Amino acid sequence: MGRIVGIDLGTTNSLVACVDAQAGQPKCVTGPYGSTLCPSIVSLDPDGSVIVGEAARRRLLTQPERTIYSVKRLMGRGPADVQNELALFPFRIDPQSKNVIRVMLGDKVFTPPEISAFILRELRSWAQAELKEPVDRAVITVPAYFNDAQRQATKDAGRIAGLEVLRLVNEPTAAALAYGLHEKQRGHVAVYDLGGGTFDISILKLISTSEGDIYQVLSTNGDTHLGGDDIDNFLQAFVHHRVLQNGSFDFSASAESTQELRKSLIALKHDLSEKDSALLRFPLPNGELFTHEFSRAEFEKIIQPIVARTMSPVKQALADAHLAPAAIEEVVLVGGTTRTPLIRRTVQDFFGRNPHIDLNPDEVVALGAAVQANILERGVSNMLLLDVTPLSLGIETYGGAVSKIIPRNSTIPASAQEQYTTGVDNQTGIDIHVLQGERELAKDCRSLARFTLKVPPAPAGLPRIEVAFLIDANGILQVAAKDLRTGEQHSIEVQPSYGINDTEIERMLEESIEYAEQDFAERQLIEARTESEAILAATAKAFNNSQSADLPADERANIDAAIAALKASATGTDYKQIRKRIDDVNHATEHLAELLMNSAVSTALEGRKLAEV
Amino acid sequence: MDDLEQKFLQLSWKLHPDIFVNLTEREKEISLERSSKLNDAYRVLRDPVANVEYLLELEGMRKEGEHKQQAPPELLEEVFELNESLDELREARSAGANLDVLTGKLRDAETNFGEKLHEVDAELKTAAQQWDAALDADASDSDREAILQRLNELLNRRSYIRNLVAGVEKELTGAAS
Repeated sequence: MGRIVGIDLGTTNSLVACVDAQAGQPKCVTGPYGSTLCPSIVSLDPDGSVIVGEAARRRLLTQPERTIYSVKRLMGRGPADVQNELALFPFRIDPQSKNVIRVMLGDKVFTPPEISAFILRELRSWAQAELKEPVDRAVITVPAYFNDAQRQATKDAGRIAGLEVLRLVNEPTAAALAYGLHEKQRGHVAVYDLGGGTFDISILKLISTSEGDIYQVLSTNGDTHLGGDDIDNFLQAFVHHRVLQNGSFDFSASAESTQELRKSLIALKHDLSEKDSALLRFPLPNGELFTHEFSRAEFEKIIQPIVARTMSPVKQALADAHLAPAAIEEVVLVGGTTRTPLIRRTVQDFFGRNPHIDLNPDEVVALGAAVQANILERGVSNMLLLDVTPLSLGIETYGGAVSKIIPRNSTIPASAQEQYTTGVDNQTGIDIHVLQGERELAKDCRSLARFTLKVPPAPAGLPRIEVAFLIDANGILQVAAKDLRTGEQHSIEVQPSYGINDTEIERMLEESIEYAEQDFAERQLIEARTESEAILAATAKAFNNSQSADLPADERANIDAAIAALKASATGTDYKQIRKRIDDVNHATEHLAELLMNSAVSTALEGRKLAEV
Repeated sequence: MDDLEQKFLQLSWKLHPDIFVNLTEREKEISLERSSKLNDAYRVLRDPVANVEYLLELEGMRKEGEHKQQAPPELLEEVFELNESLDELREARSAGANLDVLTGKLRDAETNFGEKLHEVDAELKTAAQQWDAALDADASDSDREAILQRLNELLNRRSYIRNLVAGVEKELTGAAS
């Protein structure tokens, strides 16, 4: 059997990590672009090949209709759930979608687990290149507040990618594992995890016992649709509004400008984590230039509602753990969005202590997943994770009410048994509706599954069927039934309300092989060519700008030579040479790039490559 | 760490599915079943109310979904007053009137019933201890029956008061927004 790796399948970026056999320490794998972060972006080439990560990110602008990001927001959800998001995310949903959303990339249609599977395959290839060993099993992290359908969809993605998913681990729990290992800390820990698209808060107790260390989750809460993406959306809405007010341009008409603006605003947001103000200069398609100086105070005013929304889950999680804020000994911040100073201040004020930021907030979840992978790989261990189910499990009763059978924050695995009988003579079926959520009415909770319990014909009230509902260690529901009179076990086919069935997964697995596993060099070549196209296009665009006239003739000649050399090698198959020539062009155009950014922004953007301007 | 928690953690080391991940399907199934039972038991045992509910179910005193919702007689007057205040609040809200006096009154009622809830919890604890003592002393069936009756009454009373408090909370959050 091959190795087990830990994977953080994120909204914005995904990472893969493994524990180094010699050092015994978890480490994130560096990809072909020199970063441990693989942008969670997938692009389908017209020739049928699939491009993932950094290379796909570059296609967001050039081929938006064939490229998708933030697909995690769609996992385990139905078309009706995502209507609000469609206004802000350029998802193209197949209008034929029924329970499961189907997304269009070019003229092909994919489910969210299939798209996530492309990302998982990419990460596996990174890990295999690093480990020089096959990888066939994985621990994948999910937001703690993910419901059953979202967890099942993540597990399906693993299967479609040909990975055996040994365990789904909650992201804040994974972070605590990496952090606890690092700090050797004991006591109550709060993990505040604000990522690209999801928010989680978990309260843990780290306990030393004679057998080893136990990481016991006491409570968890969150919001699976709250994150850095929302900050981008708020900033975008702010600019759209300003621009529309001036009457100059309506962004809703142009997907491409929306993407371009989003890219600029993300850079601006990152700048504002470091600086007190940042200037947005955005050339509108109608030729006008939109400028706005964002002060940190204005930025914080815009994003304040998002930060405020994280605090009620924090309070609820503490209440469920029966703890006051002062009882928390350590606070850990996870997720790139927690770099925002306003969030750090808010969390610090609430708990009255400085949060830990010594581990890289982007990597800590993947590192924890690798630790858990290592524990499972070795089978015996001196570390144990006890996690909880984030949402109460219930069944629908008379009048559409919900009877809760497993309360939220129950340690998993957890189970509940219910007995059923018939109401009329010779009744052959009993309908059961399983739900997840805290509300009192079925219509306000998340439907997990509906099924009909088969009953042998008998007088009313005579049959005694016991149904066992079990939430496994992945937080996924299993159902079994037993006839108490005969002792016979019934198998129950539970058709998930928002899931894909086994036959479909098998078919997807087969289909994915069509797209999969191109030769490593071939993939590198495709990526290098994509990058070369992007830089050539950017350079051509730059020469159209009037500022480029200021460029000395000898520099212009250097650039022309570098471009010619790149064009020549891009037709060949040596990806290393193409990469080198790309670097040459980047180097030759440094001054040109500086010229293009006029004095006001030059200080902010110094050292950037032309393709990033 | 108390005895219960210590025992729970010890058994977790023996039963948790993570420990059986590389073994046969059968062993994994057994671990899943046993560890879920362990977790279910711990959930009930560490919660005094769930503990009593479980005991009454075992003794056949209480069936699921069977909760008496009549007001305990000694609370009738206060409950009547509370319901009146709630009605007034709803009326005042739909008329757009100032709600400050009424919400203040309801907050007082909420505190009052919150205290009663604590009283019931204390009484439940005493009765549960009496049950344990009766078992240890090998008490007669009728003595045991009397304690179970008392526990059942207290649970019903508790669930009634808790619903009242939840109802008031709901109205008050409605008033605040």
